[in-house]
Amino acid sequence: MGGATVLYQDRESQADGAQAEGDALWLTLSELTATTGWELKPEGVCKEETCVPVPAARRAAMIRTQPSGTQLNLTEFARLIDQPVAHDQATSVWYFGPAGWEWRTRLSTRVAPDFALPDLSGRVHSLSDLRGKKILLLFWASW
Amino acid sequence: MVTVACDANGRAAVEPFITAAHQQHPSLLDETLQVAELYDVRNVPSVFWIDETGRMVRAHDPIYAQRRNRETGEVTVNRDYLDAVRDWIAKGDHSTFLMDAKRLDSRLPALDADDVEAAAFFHLGTYLAKRGHPAEALVHFKRAHALRPQNWTYKRQAWNLGDIERDYGTTFQEALKDPASGPFYPSLDLVEPAGDGG
Repeated sequence: MGGATVLYQDRESQADGAQAEGDALWLTLSELTATTGWELKPEGVCKEETCVPVPAARRAAMIRTQPSGTQLNLTEFARLIDQPVAHDQATSVWYFGPAGWEWRTRLSTRVAPDFALPDLSGRVHSLSDLRGKKILLLFWASW
Repeated sequence: MVTVACDANGRAAVEPFITAAHQQHPSLLDETLQVAELYDVRNVPSVFWIDETGRMVRAHDPIYAQRRNRETGEVTVNRDYLDAVRDWIAKGDHSTFLMDAKRLDSRLPALDADDVEAAAFFHLGTYLAKRGHPAEALVHFKRAHALRPQNWTYKRQAWNLGDIERDYGTTFQEALKDPASGPFYPSLDLVEPAGDGG
C-alpha cells in the first residue's frame, strides 16, 4: 500500500512514497528526513547532535535498496530507540511517540519539562521564558 | 501563573472560558495534548508548583483556586489552597507546603513501555477523531483505555469526542465505579499526611 500520514509526536506530514507492509513502514530517505528530521548517514541514523548506530544484526530489517532508491523501515528504527508506535491500517496514519531516552527519564529528575505553546492570539510562550520566577502551572480542559 | 488547556477541540472549546476569566497570565492551548503527556496529566485540573530554578516543588494538585458553578454562577474559593500558594510566594523554599523528594517521586512515577504505548494509541485516536474517522478512532481509544484505565484524561477526552453511552456502553457515573480505574483524582494533601513516614 502506498502513502502514509506520519505523526511524529506533534509533527504531521504526508509521505507519498511510503510503503506500509504489515507492521513495517518503509520511507525513502528524503521522506524520512522530511517527516522525522532523522537522516541516514554512514555513522548511523542522525539528527542534530544525536547519531544512533545501526546494529549489523538489524540492518537488513531496517534498511533496504529498491530500484527507486534506499529505504528505511521507520517502525524498526522506532523499536531500536524504544519509541512507541500506533498505526491505523484503514487510513494509513502512523503515530510515533518519544524515544526511550526521553520518556524513561522524563519526570524522575523533578525538573519541570520545558515546552512551547501558543495563546489565543497565536503568540508562543515557553516555560523557560519564565525561569527566575515562581510558576503555578495549571492544566485544565472543557471536557 | 500559566494555564494550559489540554483540549483536542482547541480554541473553539476553550476560548469562551479564557475570555470570561479575563486572565492576565499566559493562557495556552495544548490541542494535541502533547504537553499534557509530558506532565503525565491523568485528569484535570492538575496543578504544579515550579520554583525559580525550574524544579517542581508540588505536583498534580487536583484543584482550582476558585471555580464558578455552571448553573448558579456561584463562586467557591478554595481558601486553604490559596493560602498555601501565598505561603510559598512569601517563604519560597521554607514554605511548609512544598513536597519533599520522596513525595514528589511518588506522584511522578517513572513511565514504562505500556504507559507510552497507551499514549500513542490515545494520540492516534485523537487525530483520527478530529479528521472525521470516529470508528477508527474508537478502536485506538479503547486500546489506550485498556492499557491505562487509571488515566482519566484518555477517557474524558475520548468520551468528549464521541458518545460515552453509544461508543463505550457506559455512563460517567458507572465509569467512576470501575475498580480498574482507581481514584478519579489523586489526593490533595497540603502538608505531609500523618504516618507517611516522611
